[in-house]
Amino acid sequence: MTAKEFLRKILFIEILKGMALTLRRLFSHAVTIQYPKERRPIAPGFRGQHALAKDSEGKAKCVGCGLCATICPSQCIYISREKGQVTKYEIEVLRCIYCGFCVEACPYGAIVLTENYEYSDYSRDAIYMKRDKLLSNWDKYMPGKKGEEYFKKFWRPMSEDFGTPSGQATFRGKR
Amino acid sequence: MNTLTNMITPITLDTLTKFGINVGIIIIKIAVVLGIGLLHVAYATYFERKVIGHMQVRLGPMRVGPHGLLQPIADGIKLFFKEDIIPADADKPVFYLAPVIFMASAMVNLAVIPFASNFVIANINIGLLFIFAIAGLGVYGVFMSGWASNSKYAFIGGLRSSAQVLSYEIAMGLSLVGVMIMAGSLNLTDIVKAQGKSIYGMYAIPQIVAFVVFIIAAVAETNRTPFDLPEAESELVAGYFVEYSGFRFALFFLGEYIAMFIMASLAAVCFLGGWTIPWYITKVLPILKLVPGVVWFLLKVYAFIFFYYWIRATVPRYRYDQLMAIGWKILIPVALANLVVTGLLKILL
Repeated sequence: MTAKEFLRKILFIEILKGMALTLRRLFSHAVTIQYPKERRPIAPGFRGQHALAKDSEGKAKCVGCGLCATICPSQCIYISREKGQVTKYEIEVLRCIYCGFCVEACPYGAIVLTENYEYSDYSRDAIYMKRDKLLSNWDKYMPGKKGEEYFKKFWRPMSEDFGTPSGQATFRGKR
Repeated sequence: MNTLTNMITPITLDTLTKFGINVGIIIIKIAVVLGIGLLHVAYATYFERKVIGHMQVRLGPMRVGPHGLLQPIADGIKLFFKEDIIPADADKPVFYLAPVIFMASAMVNLAVIPFASNFVIANINIGLLFIFAIAGLGVYGVFMSGWASNSKYAFIGGLRSSAQVLSYEIAMGLSLVGVMIMAGSLNLTDIVKAQGKSIYGMYAIPQIVAFVVFIIAAVAETNRTPFDLPEAESELVAGYFVEYSGFRFALFFLGEYIAMFIMASLAAVCFLGGWTIPWYITKVLPILKLVPGVVWFLLKVYAFIFFYYWIRATVPRYRYDQLMAIGWKILIPVALANLVVTGLLKILL
């Protein structure tokens, strides 16, 4: 141990440095966000609670093709169709991992993840989302322009890919 | 009837009234000190959580009352109404007794602390020794709780705590012997008065080595971070009081915070000049003479308590062998050397 090291040790230099740091922090601003009073700003395209999109006439866009249910990694979407009508569309939210694959897979832009993240409840049944609930979520969290622009901004529904790109020879038959 | 009139003469009546008045004054003093002590404990926890929170860039308690000011009261009510759980195989009488011993031994020390020049409950001439003796008794509470809980964590915590407190008590005692030599008294009031008369105004300057030893030993003595091995959360859950709940736990909590208060006031009294301020400060700012002594005393005490929290927010816990090495191989020799130097200077000068 050199004289310098010895001096550093008996004068508690390292500890004093640490204490200077904590004292500086004492007078800095806390990073805490006081949750129910203050809220963190939600990033655009935040992936929260699910909703089934409605078109301008207020009808559900979903046709029940089942692509979302197929791609869902946690297999939490249940769909059944009868006579061309979607009779069941249910999401078991407790199993959802909010990956957004369903939104990506949907060719009609029929399912979205809204910005609502405060939907905890006291029972499983209360957060097991049926079709009506999902449709009402659209009205609640994606009203008007917001819902229309959502897909343009954050997702590219594949139905847009079905059309031919402009400036390319097009099929002139019956469309 | 006849004997009674014979017994109470005007002179004995006079002494009796004087005695009664004295007892009354002492009881009022005790009530004041106890009330302030308990309020101190409540708000010391709040202060600690706030200080450490802000040092960790958090806010600390904020919800109960404005800025969480009512948090200690909520905590107290919670502790009071909690279920009192006693382990099935606990040694019940000892289990009941341990927290009482722990808290009582901390509280008794409040009696000899001079809060101001004429405010001390028991102005005894062995004040310093008394504090050592009673603080040593507190270890019984710790050790008994560790033994009676019939839990390995509590047992190890109790063993560690008693070993630690006993070894650091030596260093602390030796560091204060320097103060005793300089003041020539064990009476805490006399020690403060001697400091007021000395050139430095406080013994922390000539006895700086002893002061540093005392600070370290005081932190270890009260089982606070970085010497909180007896209650090391990560290994012993909570240490010697793991099995205690509800109000018995609160008694340990009270005891710990009052012990901190005692150590802080001991530092204020023995090294920082108690209720006095150095003469060179009053010479520059004579207006400070108007401030009552108890303000200075409490200011020093709370500065020291803040220092406790500050250390807790900064320094991680020592290993057990390091703790013992610091106590026995460094602090005690340093304190002894300081003692020899102080004694020699006292004889020579």
